[in-house]
Amino acid sequence: MNHGAASLAQRTGLPVDEKALIQAAQEGDQDAFGQLVRAYDQSVLRLAMNLLRSQEDAQDVYQEAFLRVYRNLKNFRFDCSFHTWLYRIVTNLCLDQMRKKKVRKEESTQVEAADGPLDRMDTFQESRVEGDPERGLLSGELRERIQSALSGLTARERMVFELRHYQGLKLRNIGEILGTSEEAAKNCLFRATQKMRVALGDFV
Amino acid sequence: MNAKHVSCDMVRRQLSMLLYGELTFDEEEAVEAHLESCAGCRRALEQEQNLHAAFDQAEIEPAASALWESRQNLQARIAAEQAASRRAGWWDQFVDALTLRLPSGSPAWMKTAGALALVTLGFFGARLTPGTGFTGMSLATPDAQRVRSVEPAANGGVQIVLDETRHRVVSGNLDDQNIRVLLLSAAKEASDPGLRYETVGILNDRAQADEVRDTLIYALEHDENAGVRLKAMDGLRPFVQHPEVRKALAGVLLSDGNPGMRTQAIDLLTEGVDESNANRGPDMLDRDIIGTLQELMSIESNAYVRQRGEHVLQLVNASRETY
Repeated sequence: MNHGAASLAQRTGLPVDEKALIQAAQEGDQDAFGQLVRAYDQSVLRLAMNLLRSQEDAQDVYQEAFLRVYRNLKNFRFDCSFHTWLYRIVTNLCLDQMRKKKVRKEESTQVEAADGPLDRMDTFQESRVEGDPERGLLSGELRERIQSALSGLTARERMVFELRHYQGLKLRNIGEILGTSEEAAKNCLFRATQKMRVALGDFV
Repeated sequence: MNAKHVSCDMVRRQLSMLLYGELTFDEEEAVEAHLESCAGCRRALEQEQNLHAAFDQAEIEPAASALWESRQNLQARIAAEQAASRRAGWWDQFVDALTLRLPSGSPAWMKTAGALALVTLGFFGARLTPGTGFTGMSLATPDAQRVRSVEPAANGGVQIVLDETRHRVVSGNLDDQNIRVLLLSAAKEASDPGLRYETVGILNDRAQADEVRDTLIYALEHDENAGVRLKAMDGLRPFVQHPEVRKALAGVLLSDGNPGMRTQAIDLLTEGVDESNANRGPDMLDRDIIGTLQELMSIESNAYVRQRGEHVLQLVNASRETY
């Protein structure tokens, strides 16, 4: 991947056919691989960040997931969509990480502050905002309750909930990603929303 | 599910799936029919909608800088892997086979023969290996081709149909007009916030040019990502005395949804206003900015931003709000 000014032309160009892009990347075209990464990496980082609630852990998952894609892309046979294949990798990495955290009991209900300009503001928003409905900000108390409710879900319930609610994937696709049936994913989502409702019922 | 026999309990269990659009046609029909005639379940649906809306607000959007940093790190890791795989390429393996991996008891002549084979291969290899003008498929080649079909042609030749993923790579100095046009366009139009963030960062070094400054102002006023807007504000910092920059910053004060942005805008617009100059009173700050700050005080609901604004108004001996 080239992130300099030289590659901006292609990065601002029209989207190209994904299959052709994958095939080009399989044959070693670095720019094609870079375009594939950029097509999906925002949602990958968002998923990992929401699941792991830690920028550092989310960035680790991002690195590992795309490195695995890079190393194994040659073996990708289009048996499923690239999106499903990528998400299988990402969700497995996140599930591992979440289970490790659960064992170590290190899971925090707070999003970590990090370096960088936006993070300064994120930290600011987290700590300074005191009710600002017009600007769409959430009260700290409710946010804490939601975080606490989320941490009460099992890793799989959490995963299905994130994929359905925040990533907007259909249960059929979620089942495919997690290697289970649509029905099992639905039951998992049902349990997750039930627990969340119990935890937040008096709040909303 | 039969609409006539569906119970409130069953409907309430389905409400979340209804909102997710995950009910079958028949299930949805039955739930909706029940909702039309049951006020209690309609209230439960409203509560479920509130719950979903609360979930929405708890979503974390990663910082544009985090995305940019992740991409940089990935690029570095891949480059390191490529370098490692080149070192472990066929040539090294061949060398290993000829020399290092020979059993320790091997006769000396085998090593000599191996060394001789290496020299010979090196001599011929240098003549056979394509030079830097090689234009076949390589990792750095921007255009990827794939043979879709091959057919014999009537004239004894061959017709090959290629699928191509064609990119164009443009390199040049930031002062090159073509490069600049691309950068200006990427800063405004790219759908990827990481790319806009990176582009605005590059453009910040050239903000003395009017067209670049206009683009940064555009990003400051219109970009949906706060990280990109803040980056643009950083680039405009040295030009804070320019009227168009002050106007844009005043706009940030009154309309940017992010309190961090509003705070930064106050800091930039009121540079030099501090206790050491307090005796100068309102002369420290132009009247338009004082007016904007007073207007801000009448609408600002964030306690921290209010406090900053009030502090500045106090320093310049201005009232907190317009009357």
